[in-house]
Amino acid sequence: MVVYSFYIFDRHTECIYSKSWLPPAHDPTGAPNSVTAARPSSSDDAKLIFGTVFSLRNMVRKLGGDDDAFVSYRTAQYKLHFYETASNLRLVMLTDTATLSMRNVLHQIYINLWVEYVVKNPLSPVEHKGGAGVRNELFELGLDQFIRGLM
Amino acid sequence: MASSKASRLGEETRMDKVNAELVVLTYGTIVAQLCKDFDSDYVEVNKQLDKMGYNIGLRLIEDYLAKSNTVRRCSNFRETAEMIAKVGFKIFLNITPTITNWTSDGKQFSLVFDENPFADFVELPDDGRAQDELWYSNILCGVLRGALEMVQMQVEAHFISDVLRGNDTTEMRISLIRYIDDELPPEDD
Repeated sequence: MVVYSFYIFDRHTECIYSKSWLPPAHDPTGAPNSVTAARPSSSDDAKLIFGTVFSLRNMVRKLGGDDDAFVSYRTAQYKLHFYETASNLRLVMLTDTATLSMRNVLHQIYINLWVEYVVKNPLSPVEHKGGAGVRNELFELGLDQFIRGLM
Repeated sequence: MASSKASRLGEETRMDKVNAELVVLTYGTIVAQLCKDFDSDYVEVNKQLDKMGYNIGLRLIEDYLAKSNTVRRCSNFRETAEMIAKVGFKIFLNITPTITNWTSDGKQFSLVFDENPFADFVELPDDGRAQDELWYSNILCGVLRGALEMVQMQVEAHFISDVLRGNDTTEMRISLIRYIDDELPPEDD
């Protein structure tokens, strides 16, 4: 199993955290965008990803009812996993195509890392505008260890 | 059925415990300090307590979601009320207020507190005003308002009676104002 990258979007649809486990030169997730010669920046990536998961989630709810949730989609190059909390925090992870459901992993990241190290840090802001307060040492370290433990 | 499920969830969720006296004294100190800071302007103290509660609620909801392991949204406001009383209050304060006095449109209800861990040992100041103006546990209103806002419900909450004031019960009134829509990503230009 290989984890390519990980994103967190807040309820204001802003990307407040992103992390890649790949050297920038070799990024298989770039495939869908590589029709254009210039590689889009990572903030463009985040915007595209959010637009995609947001539309998919709304479509899934329309077809399957309000309780239905979209879990993942797969392309020839990668698999995207999605997890949304009731507080509208969205966690997205890109992995290789052979990876099984990461729903549980994303849930664990939410309860063991996000809630413990970001939300409960009394001095971090409640709204993470521009990612403020997310990139603290405990969260970064915990996340990196957790993901590397999976691979 | 939903009601018993909520009770079970509340009972089964494991929480770390904290000494009750510590909570009473900490909260009491906050209220006392606010009364001092605002020169016994109790209306302002109520407002400040509500604001502090709001900021707590914004965070506490995430802990609630993580701990209670709720997998889906409540389908209506009645279910929300059950979850607040039987899961939320149960896991954080180890009390289960009674839900009563629903309006017929299902948008307003009361929580009646048979016990209130914040108010043990408390006597309101005997200055002739506190009995009529101070809502001692007003922080709880703010907590509910903040927590529900994060799960897309705009509510209004206030106390309408308090045993500390000599009323028979402690009752909080909660009204659903609206469900907040999902925010949309900004349009690309």
